Amino acid sequence: MKILVTGCSGFLGVPTVERLLAHGERDLRCFLRPGSKRDRLEAVLRRYPDAKVERFVGSLGSPQSAAEAVEGCDVVYHLAAALSGAPADMFLNTVVTTRHLLDAVRAQKKPPKIVHCSSFGVYGVAQLPRGAMVDESTPFEPHPERRDPYSQAKLRQEALVWEYARQYAIPTVVLRPGVIYGPGGGAFSTRVGLNLFGLFLHLGGKNLLPITYVDNCAEAIAVAGRSPAAEGQAFNVVDDDLVTASRWLELYRKRVKRIPTVRIPYAGLTVMSELVARYHKYSKGQLPAVFTRYKSATTWGGNRFDNTKLKSLGWRPIVSTEDGLSRAFEDLKARTALAS
Amino acid sequence: MSLKIGIVGCGKIADGHVEEIQKVPELARVVGVCDREPIMAEQIAMRYGLDYHTNDVERLLAERKPDVLHITTPPGSHLPLAKLAIDAGCHVYVEKPMTLSLADTKELVAHAEKAKKKLTIGYTYLFDPPALEMRDLIAGGALGDIVHVESFYGYNLSGAYGSAILGDPSHWVLQLPGQLLHNNIDHLLNKTLEFLEDDEPRITAHGFVRRTQRFGDARDAMLDELRLLIHDRSGSGPTVYGTFSSHIRPAAHFARVYGSKNTAHVDYIARTVTLESSGSLPSAIGRLVPAFEMAAKFAKAGARNVGKFARSDFHFFSGLSYLIRAYYRSILDDSPPPISHRDIIRASAMLDSIFSQLKDAQSKAGGSR
Repeated sequence: MKILVTGCSGFLGVPTVERLLAHGERDLRCFLRPGSKRDRLEAVLRRYPDAKVERFVGSLGSPQSAAEAVEGCDVVYHLAAALSGAPADMFLNTVVTTRHLLDAVRAQKKPPKIVHCSSFGVYGVAQLPRGAMVDESTPFEPHPERRDPYSQAKLRQEALVWEYARQYAIPTVVLRPGVIYGPGGGAFSTRVGLNLFGLFLHLGGKNLLPITYVDNCAEAIAVAGRSPAAEGQAFNVVDDDLVTASRWLELYRKRVKRIPTVRIPYAGLTVMSELVARYHKYSKGQLPAVFTRYKSATTWGGNRFDNTKLKSLGWRPIVSTEDGLSRAFEDLKARTALAS
Repeated sequence: MSLKIGIVGCGKIADGHVEEIQKVPELARVVGVCDREPIMAEQIAMRYGLDYHTNDVERLLAERKPDVLHITTPPGSHLPLAKLAIDAGCHVYVEKPMTLSLADTKELVAHAEKAKKKLTIGYTYLFDPPALEMRDLIAGGALGDIVHVESFYGYNLSGAYGSAILGDPSHWVLQLPGQLLHNNIDHLLNKTLEFLEDDEPRITAHGFVRRTQRFGDARDAMLDELRLLIHDRSGSGPTVYGTFSSHIRPAAHFARVYGSKNTAHVDYIARTVTLESSGSLPSAIGRLVPAFEMAAKFAKAGARNVGKFARSDFHFFSGLSYLIRAYYRSILDDSPPPISHRDIIRASAMLDSIFSQLKDAQSKAGGSR
């Protein structure tokens, strides 16, 4: 079985390649952008010398490149997406690239299966009461125009994947990871808070974080991708033993670096969001509307998260949350020391 | 009357156009957006609450009948799109560069003038607050006769856009006759136009590649540094130095206007204009005081910016806002557009001259530069 992996030199891509190899896959085509850093990927591949691995250098911005990459593949693990940039660039590098890939897939005589990495960002949670459970039946975001560009792009991307699945009978599996963390990852999800000119605004409080250790997320992608029972379905990816935003911040301050923080309770955040949104409107956009009530309700409203469906496929975390946090904070500490 | 505006090309810069147009509902409103990639048209319509998007510009023109079409596509499509829009009865705002050559620009200007339509180009920095302040200083005689001008435009090639260009050997910027320079140096050249008289001033251009060669293909030959000397052929007017640099840090963006009385430093990033004057105090005192004088001038310029911020008049797209308002008023009043058609042609002539020289130099060097 020949497998194409996009985004495979990235934070999640490298462990996903590793988990696919660990599950016995031996015929991979790794889609790499020109100039991408490949040290981590090559280190993984060296551990599986018997695997046949093709390094395909191209750009999903090019339909031709996408077509060449998909040619002859049985499964496509689609992990590539823009993580930052101007809104238009996010759509270009997440949604348009995905359409190029899907067009290439549907053009195959026997369309390969798509295993698509989406995001928790697709859910419409602003309307949910505090503490509501977010599972795979939670509706898509009904007001994408009120959301951040990353969520807007990921939402459109997943909708496109399902459109193609329906229209062209493409076997499809969708994974929706929460906050992916681990060595090489970021220090703080916005669900914990925001760094404002050196002062950390702690906004998450006692909210649970929908975290998934990067290797666990990769394992979920591999398990779901290889499971015939998963086809046509979406799966949340969160670990067991979730921690709160407060706990994350406490561990960071204890194990990595003490940073000045200010705790802003949700009621205060709601007032602040309203003021920021009003100033944005009054000043005709002189400062960006970083906070709005809607965005705040989405990010800091406080939900619970369910991984029952993913577990029904046989997935189990391969790294415990305790170990995962230790590894992540050790790496952050090393990187912080190096930077200073 | 409120003008109906269409936009074709829904990349990053189109956001700025929509935002600024939506701030002047008394003058204009966006009636539709178009991109040949339907997702790009859809996304901008979704984010800004626009009720019409399409991937067919002819449909946009036919169904929404815009009075003005903003063309924010890659430059290779500017000429055919602008002519199509003019033939459909539109005035046309074109992002820089106007076209790919002087001949094409002349053809487009002639086409617009024949149809009695107004063209403008996205030379927004000409209307940024520091540029307006500089013009006031010159008009008030504060600089005296202008002797020399420096125009500096810094670029960060390791930023997201630079990485996109270098990451894709088929990127449209690499297909332009002047590649990276072609997509950027209008910002350098347009500031010099008001100091020069000739239709085609004399230009000496030197281009360089300063990056490490790492691709082994045509991308390695893309020039990333440019030095220019420009002057009228009579030699009687001001001289101009132009610098485009991808490596100097900070990636500054300024003009220095050297006058027979004083010199103005016009900083487009810090949004300050500071006047440098000759000292009048003697000996050591004369060397102590200027630093404090300059500090006071910067403090004053900073305080003015704080005042503008407090009045909600300190926006990133100030120049774009000024330009589109002035352009729309010129259409509504049938008065001259804010950037003359002659200046649009002169800028194209400069680009042609520069790229012709650089091409010759690269040919002589066997493509090694």
